[in-house]
Amino acid sequence: MPDENKKELRADMLFEIVKAKYGDRLTDEQLEEVRNGVDGVEGLAAELRKVRLTNAVEPFANFQPFRGADNDE
Amino acid sequence: MNNDLVFTPIRQLAELLKSRQISPIQLSEIFLDRLEQRGPSYNALTTLTRERASRQAEQAEREISAGDYKGPLHGIPWGAKDLLATSDGIPTSWGAAPLKDQTFDFDATVVRRLEEAGAVLAGKLAMIELAGGMGYRQPTATFTGPPRNPWNRETWTGGSSAGSGAAVAAGLVPFAIGSETWGSILSPANNCGLAGLRPTYGRVSRYGAMALCWTLDKLGPLGLTADDCGLVLEAIAGPDPDDPTAADMTFAYDDSPTEGRRFKIGVLKDVADGAEEPVRENFEKALAAISEVADVEEMEFPDYPYVAAIRTILNVESAAAFEDFIEEGTAAELTAPEDHYGPYARTSVLATDYVKALRIRGVMSREVDGVMSKYDAIAAPTSPRVASPIDEEFRKASPSPGPGDLMGAIGNGCGLPSISVPSGFSDAGLPTGIQFMGRPYQENTILAIARAYQAMTAWHTRHPEDALEG
Repeated sequence: MPDENKKELRADMLFEIVKAKYGDRLTDEQLEEVRNGVDGVEGLAAELRKVRLTNAVEPFANFQPFRGADNDE
Repeated sequence: MNNDLVFTPIRQLAELLKSRQISPIQLSEIFLDRLEQRGPSYNALTTLTRERASRQAEQAEREISAGDYKGPLHGIPWGAKDLLATSDGIPTSWGAAPLKDQTFDFDATVVRRLEEAGAVLAGKLAMIELAGGMGYRQPTATFTGPPRNPWNRETWTGGSSAGSGAAVAAGLVPFAIGSETWGSILSPANNCGLAGLRPTYGRVSRYGAMALCWTLDKLGPLGLTADDCGLVLEAIAGPDPDDPTAADMTFAYDDSPTEGRRFKIGVLKDVADGAEEPVRENFEKALAAISEVADVEEMEFPDYPYVAAIRTILNVESAAAFEDFIEEGTAAELTAPEDHYGPYARTSVLATDYVKALRIRGVMSREVDGVMSKYDAIAAPTSPRVASPIDEEFRKASPSPGPGDLMGAIGNGCGLPSISVPSGFSDAGLPTGIQFMGRPYQENTILAIARAYQAMTAWHTRHPEDALEG
């Protein structure tokens, strides 16, 4: 399947999830805006997926185990 | 006398206070009255904190009279963006109607540090609701009304630190604290003709500040001059056990003269393409001026999807930070129509795409630093445009995102400090800005460059006419 079709299919599925969760509180016009937003999100993701990274590249977010004030070792 | 004091930079005010030519009580009364009388006309003020200010000013007066002078912020009034927690029953609204009566029983670290430095909290300043975390597109996105630019009330201040920009530009406070996730300090600095410093990520504790995006949020000053920003940064920076992302280092402001010092400044290729004509013209003139003290050369950053990576991180973290607004439907109570539905699409980002964005962020941070190691700063127009009309959707009104957005994505994504100072005015009398972006923790370098530029130009000495009246 061409990439563009895959992208649209993914956006369709992601939008259906959002609609199932929150659709009851949104008007048709608002849902159309949400759909545009999901297309935008998927567009950003498509750019990220084009970047090839090696297995060793870690997320740039430091997690440190919590060290309590009484832990002086 | 009052107008002279109103638009006096911190260093000069401090001399007057220290030498007891003016008292902290007198000074705070001037600014409290201005905030109270003029703040509403700019929609700049959320809460006047007169009682707390009076208490702090009286204490400052006692201390200075007793010879216990704490430093350049002692007795100086200031305003806090209304996302900084304040005790004493002072509301902290986050700019959002559903939270307009929200209170905390503690002070944000920044508020506490400024109090320890002797500064006087004069007011909580208006802001775009939830700092724009719901995807606002227009200046009206706040329950306090569209923040009006003192240079022309029919244009907006920029955001989301909108009241912070308006209040300093109108001489309602000598300085203010704003926050930036992506553009929220530099944008009001640009539109309001101010100095605005976005510090390195982690330089200033965010404890007690509303979270929009944990890995992007920064707090920093808006003032009349770069020197003001340096003085304030020294007071608010430093480690904080309450904020695990706060860097374990203090900041000593180096205000030594820049005479004889020569800088090296990079300019991103085609960075002013697509900018409005006055922005481009003023930027070129600013580069010509700064070349008196700097070698200026064109450069490029390596090719990465900077905007996509940082936008993805922002989408995910803001959706998580405001999960209750989304899940409980409170977003529908916000002021801007687009904020009623804006956050929902953000919940559709896949976890693997978020982690991919974080991985790319690491690669780009290293590579960007490699390029920046050749320069003292990268210069660019702060914004590709002057302040837009108050009743216009600024995202629609804007030209293509372009390289200006690239500076924002790289600067905020890599946690880099940047300072914006005014570079001139349009024919319509609206300010333009130039930013100097530095390597992490090199605020002293970009402050020195901005000071050198301001020593050669006088844009920062101009003030809005209607702020000077009365």
